[in-house]
Amino acid sequence: MPRIQLLDASTAPMTAESYFAGGDPGPIVAALANVPELLGPTLGFIGAALGPGATTTRHKEFAILRTSALLGCRYCIHAHTTVALDVGLADVEVRALRGEMALEEAFTEPSEVALIRWIDAMAGATGPLPDDVWTAARGFWADHLLVELSATIGATMFLNRFATGFELPTSAGVLERLEHEGFDTGMAADTAGAS
Amino acid sequence: MTDVAIESPIAQAIAEGTLPGRVWLYTNYHCNLACSYCLTESSPRSERRQLEPSTMLAVAEQAKELGFTALGVTGGEPFLLPWLPETVLEMASHLPVVVLTNATLFGGNRIEHGALLAHPNISVQISLDSDQPDVNDMARGPDNFAKVIEAVPRLIDRGVRVRIATTTGGSLDAPELDPLRDLVAGLGVAPDDHLVRPIVRRGRADEMALGVRAQARDIPSELTITADGAFWGSFGPTVRAGRLDLDLLLTRTVLPLSVPANALLGLLGGMPEGNDANLGIR
Repeated sequence: MPRIQLLDASTAPMTAESYFAGGDPGPIVAALANVPELLGPTLGFIGAALGPGATTTRHKEFAILRTSALLGCRYCIHAHTTVALDVGLADVEVRALRGEMALEEAFTEPSEVALIRWIDAMAGATGPLPDDVWTAARGFWADHLLVELSATIGATMFLNRFATGFELPTSAGVLERLEHEGFDTGMAADTAGAS
Repeated sequence: MTDVAIESPIAQAIAEGTLPGRVWLYTNYHCNLACSYCLTESSPRSERRQLEPSTMLAVAEQAKELGFTALGVTGGEPFLLPWLPETVLEMASHLPVVVLTNATLFGGNRIEHGALLAHPNISVQISLDSDQPDVNDMARGPDNFAKVIEAVPRLIDRGVRVRIATTTGGSLDAPELDPLRDLVAGLGVAPDDHLVRPIVRRGRADEMALGVRAQARDIPSELTITADGAFWGSFGPTVRAGRLDLDLLLTRTVLPLSVPANALLGLLGGMPEGNDANLGIR
């Protein structure tokens, strides 16, 4: 059960009406609608940070799924496991990003290994990034891509804490899909940082 | 009105009649009564959820700057707050204020508490629903009729402008209300200061299936400030089964007042005309 009221079309503020016009907008919007003036700016930022950009969809999903696993967000891990599969990540890659198997078993491309280590340092640690992590990432990835991905990571961290703190529910459709694909739907990958 | 206010979109909308000029403030939600049709389920046990005096003063000041033309203070029972008269007096230095009350807290020497509001920019609006004590008291509580009948002339004697508001489940121009109109006039209240309005089916009235059904556009779009945020209309921040209705919530942000005022103005732009005038909702 969510810890706060999730609003629907009949209970949502009139200033949030447009977000419910197309049907159930999902628990994040349903929760945010409790403060309707946050919807526009928050969803605008999330859309820009998680949506299409200069970075490929594949690598954006690296950032989103890996960050969610590092922060132990069940809701976001569930949702982005399906998104990652849909955009073409292999089953083993998804499992590795979720922290369920070693990264080196799934990723061999040096640029991608460097990127995941950089994501781990951005989302899963405190303080400055280790020089070797930064140097390795910077060797493959341009400044503007790392800036864009840092926004993806930041927006994901917000969503991770929002969804986890308020215990937002995963939709039945997503759970069915994950079970069908053989993924754990429990509290997956809260030890991702140690993998 | 300042030059800034004349140029503001809010002031323009008020001048054109698109936006009502009054800003309402819900001082608190608790009340010494528990009326059957109460929009906010107010009672002695209600959570207070009160506005701070500093917030009320800031709303008054910014309302004037934005071009609003009047203020309204309601609750709950506002006079349960000991600082209310002094705060309203200060608000009245910015804009005219009407304060709604059940007038049951003015017995004996406590009348002087209400008498502090003898000011040309302030009126006190008191609820009275019937000329029959038992009928009035059935909805509003024991001895309510007697306390109102006692308080009204005493306030008028002390220079307070008193308005009477009658809330009815029947027709607004029913002949059955004539004795009440006579009673109110006999208390010294001018006919124009006696409002008759319907029960709006929201809050406790909705739970009891009382009053007229009204959609958002049927409710006067007066900006309404509460401790829970800013709402469309003074009938907006209703409570049902202990939970605040959010359907008429504009913003949780109340200050600066331009935030909810602009949200309200933005909604008005795309909304067809309502039926509030025909329903008599005010």
